[in-house]
Parts: sequence; structure tokens; C-alpha cells
Amino acid sequence: MRAVWAIAANTFREAVRDRILYLFIGFAVVMVVSSKLFGMLTVGDETKIIKDIGLAAMQFFSMLIAVMMSMILISREVDSRTVFNILAKPVRRWQFILGKYLGLVSIVAANLVLTTVVLMLTVRVVAGEVDLMLLFAAAMTMLEMLVLAAFATLFAVLTRPILGSLMTLAVFVVGHMSADLWLLTRQLPGALTRAVIAVVYYLLPNLERFNFRTEVVHHLPISGAAVGWAVLYAVAFVVVILSLANLRFRGKDLK
Amino acid sequence: MADIQLSVRDLQKTFHPGLFEASIEVLKGLSFEVARGEIFGFLGPNGAGKTTTIKAINEIIYPDAGEILVCGLPHTSLEAKRRIGFMSESPYIYRHLTGREYLRFSGELLGLDRTGLADRIAQVLDQVGMSGGAERTMGTYSKGMLQRVALAQALLGEPELLILDEPMSGLDPVGRRAVRDIILDQAASGVTVFFSTHIIPDVEMICDRVAIIVDGRVQAIGSVSELVSDEAKTYEATFVGAVPSDLRTPLEASHVASGASWVRVATENRESLIHELGDCGAQVESLDPVRTTLEDLLMRHYEEAGS
Repeated sequence: MRAVWAIAANTFREAVRDRILYLFIGFAVVMVVSSKLFGMLTVGDETKIIKDIGLAAMQFFSMLIAVMMSMILISREVDSRTVFNILAKPVRRWQFILGKYLGLVSIVAANLVLTTVVLMLTVRVVAGEVDLMLLFAAAMTMLEMLVLAAFATLFAVLTRPILGSLMTLAVFVVGHMSADLWLLTRQLPGALTRAVIAVVYYLLPNLERFNFRTEVVHHLPISGAAVGWAVLYAVAFVVVILSLANLRFRGKDLK
Repeated sequence: MADIQLSVRDLQKTFHPGLFEASIEVLKGLSFEVARGEIFGFLGPNGAGKTTTIKAINEIIYPDAGEILVCGLPHTSLEAKRRIGFMSESPYIYRHLTGREYLRFSGELLGLDRTGLADRIAQVLDQVGMSGGAERTMGTYSKGMLQRVALAQALLGEPELLILDEPMSGLDPVGRRAVRDIILDQAASGVTVFFSTHIIPDVEMICDRVAIIVDGRVQAIGSVSELVSDEAKTYEATFVGAVPSDLRTPLEASHVASGASWVRVATENRESLIHELGDCGAQVESLDPVRTTLEDLLMRHYEEAGS
């Protein structure tokens, strides 16, 4: 595992020394802080609006970081051929994939920690409350990002950077529309069309499973079973998708 | 040959670029062996298959057929990889890391003992003459500095087999000499060095043995002196008068100027050539053997492969 941690640490270090990451994090922090402005402009409970918009901003920018950094950090390693020196050492290809994935996930986690702290401080200043449920919402967003980062890793070894980014973005969008897809399978007339949509439904993750924003913002009860299933669901997807990434990368000639 | 450090047998590789593009057969049954402690040069023109072979040895690409053994172990085993120090062609580096950080990362990948790693890094940096620039990010390095750091990471794990892909390519004379000296030092300490190049003087200067690779096959293998002495002798003759038209030995080249002629003929029999020239009435002024160079040999194999 030492090689995996070394690759993860190097990936994290590379991202931290890249200005693009700061651009994303800067925007995320600005969005979270400016949720106060949206709260003032909107009718309703200002604190709830701050939390809602803040959590949405955290999710959106985490997704952007996962998509963009995976393409930068994994594709660049292959394209610039620095990967040659890694694979020529006593390192297995699955260790490379896992190391890059963990590095990417740690970058997303660092962004989430920072933006969660900013959101909690904003809520504390505006409403005078310390809402620990925001930590729970952030943890669920992190679970979602684990799944998304696995897809980003798969697409990074499967195709070119821009196409890979678009495909990961598509997984994010479709993943949040899973319920609509399921409804569509019941309402469309053609059996073949229904079957195709059903396949898409089962192949792509239902990212709404990780969305507990409404419950957190409105202090609604949260089912332990739903959380447990969400964790298992994320782990299963990560294992399967990273295995596919490894399968693709294992026999790949690097030129 | 006793104690083989690197054995490559019947290596084959064909690349399939795309659906509508023709396949490219790069390696066509390549075989050679490198003995412990020798400096082995892998000489060939661009596109001959040198880098593909090195990538196959390092498991960067997968051969279609053939066998590669490193110190008697399959090249894909971690134990075999631990024994190799590899430096790629035009060093691929992390611009965001300093030289020292890069070596620490390389040491982690090699699984080197953490307690001794800092000392080992200092040692190899000193060995390649890079102690001064180790704290700068590699994005600011010159080509020569990059080459040195890349060499340092190859030496870091104290390898038994050092594989260097075009280590002197693109370097100035000072840099080339520095790399050459490091290779010689390593060989003197018992390390086997396998390096690819298309720079012939480097091979002639430092290699114990050399393989000439053209068109994905080893065309000739042996020490430089063996390869060159195996060649048919060529002679250059100068004499007064025109080139005799009835000379039986075929001419390789000829030139006539100011009433004197110069010819180059390929023959192994010097005496018969003298008699032949005499029989033709040529007044021979000089007759000198021409030593076949490695370049001549490479060019001949290249032309044969092309035809």
C-alpha cells in the first residue's frame, strides 16, 4: 500500500500546487458566503435558504473539481509520460489507479471540509446557530463525490480528457434524474425504448440517494436505513467502477 | 554465456493504431542476452524498435509474443522490477516537484527504507552532480539537469540492471561526458548497463558489447572489434593514370583528378589486388586498408533491411 499512498500524496501535492484548484475553491467559497445575499433577496426563512444554497454550491463545485482535476491529474500523467517512471518501478497498475483515485478524492475532501467550515461560520454569523447536520450533509456529498470520482477515473483511462469530462458530467446530470428515468420507463410506449432506458437506469448511479439536503435544511427526520443503503450503494459503485478502470488500464500499451 | 542479467527471446510486437489504419509490426522476433557487469549498447536508427523493446522490458507496453527475463525472473514480477533502474528517453518529469521531492517519491515507489532514504537521495544527487539544484522545482531545470535527476532516480534503488533509453541524446559535450562517466562508474561497481542509442561514438567508447537493431530485428551482435573485424576488408588505392577498365574486382568508389586515380575496392585478398592492378598497368602509389566503422556496418544493415 506504500506505493498507493505515495501516488495519492503526489497527486494531492500536484493539485495543491495547481492554480486551477484555487480558482474552483475560491468560487465555491464565494458562492457559499453569497448565499447570505440570496437569503436576503428571497422570501422565506433566510437561514434555510443560506443552508440550501450553500449545500448546493458545495455539491456543484465538488463535482466540478472531481471532473476537472481527474482529467488534469490522470490524463496528464499518461500524456506527459511521467507514468512510465511509476510503472517501471515495483508498482502494479491497480496501485496506480487506486493511488490516483485516492489523491483525487482527497482533493475533493479538502474542498468539502473548507466549504463546510465556511458555510457553518456563515450560518453561525447570520442565525447564531451551530448546525452539526451540515456536517452530515457534507459527508453525504462526499459519498456522492466518491462515486463520481470513480467514474471520472474510469473515463480518464478510457478516453481523451475533454470527452471524459463530458461523460463524467453526464453521469452527474443523469444520476440526479434517475427517478425521472424510472418514471419514463413506465410511460413510454415502445418496449425496446423502455428496455434501453431501464438499462441506463440500472447502469448509472442514482445520485439522489446521497441527497439529504431537504432533510438537513428543514430538520426532517433521517432514516438510518437510507443512510446505510447510501453508504453501501457508494461502496459498491466505487468498487465496480474502479475495477473496470483497472481492467481497462491493466492491458493498455502506453506510448 | 554465464550469469545472464537480461534475456530477451523472440520478442514480437505489432501496434494497431486504429480501425482504418494499417498495423505496424515493430518487433519481429527480437532476441539477445546481456551478461552481468557488461555495458551493452542497443544501437539502431530511429524507428528500429529500441524504445519499444525497452518499454516492453519495463512493462509499459505488452509484447504479443516472446519472453523477457530479468536476473532469471519474469520481467513482470515485482522482484525483477526492484532490480531494474530505468531512465526513459527525454526525461518525463513532474514540473511541480523539486528534484529532491521527486527522488523521495521515487524512493517511496521503490519501497526503500524511510530512515535511510534522505541519505541515499543525498548520495545519488552527489553522484550525478545535482546537489546544488535539488531544491528547485523541476519545471525550471535545463535539459542537462533533467537528465541528471532522471539518472539519479534510476540509481536510487541500487539496481543490478540499469536500463537507459537514449541517455545522452540532446546533451551538450559536457553533459554527455558526465553521463558516460556515470555509466562507466556503475559498470565498474558491478552494475549491468543496457542502453539504447543512435549515437555511434558513445557505443564505440564505452560498450563491451553491442546489438545492432534494424527493422525490429537484431542484425548483428558482439563486441565492437568483433563486429568490425567480421566485415570484409576494403582497400583504397591511388595510382597514376586512369582507372583501369579491365579491373575484375568491383569498385565501391572511384575518383580521377590531375592524372591520378583513387579507387575503393572491397576484397579480402590484398596481394591479389596488387597483382591485378599491376596486370592492368596501374602504377600503384599507395594501397591502404580501410577499417570498416560501426557506422558503415549500421548503414549496411539499414540499407539491406530497406531493400
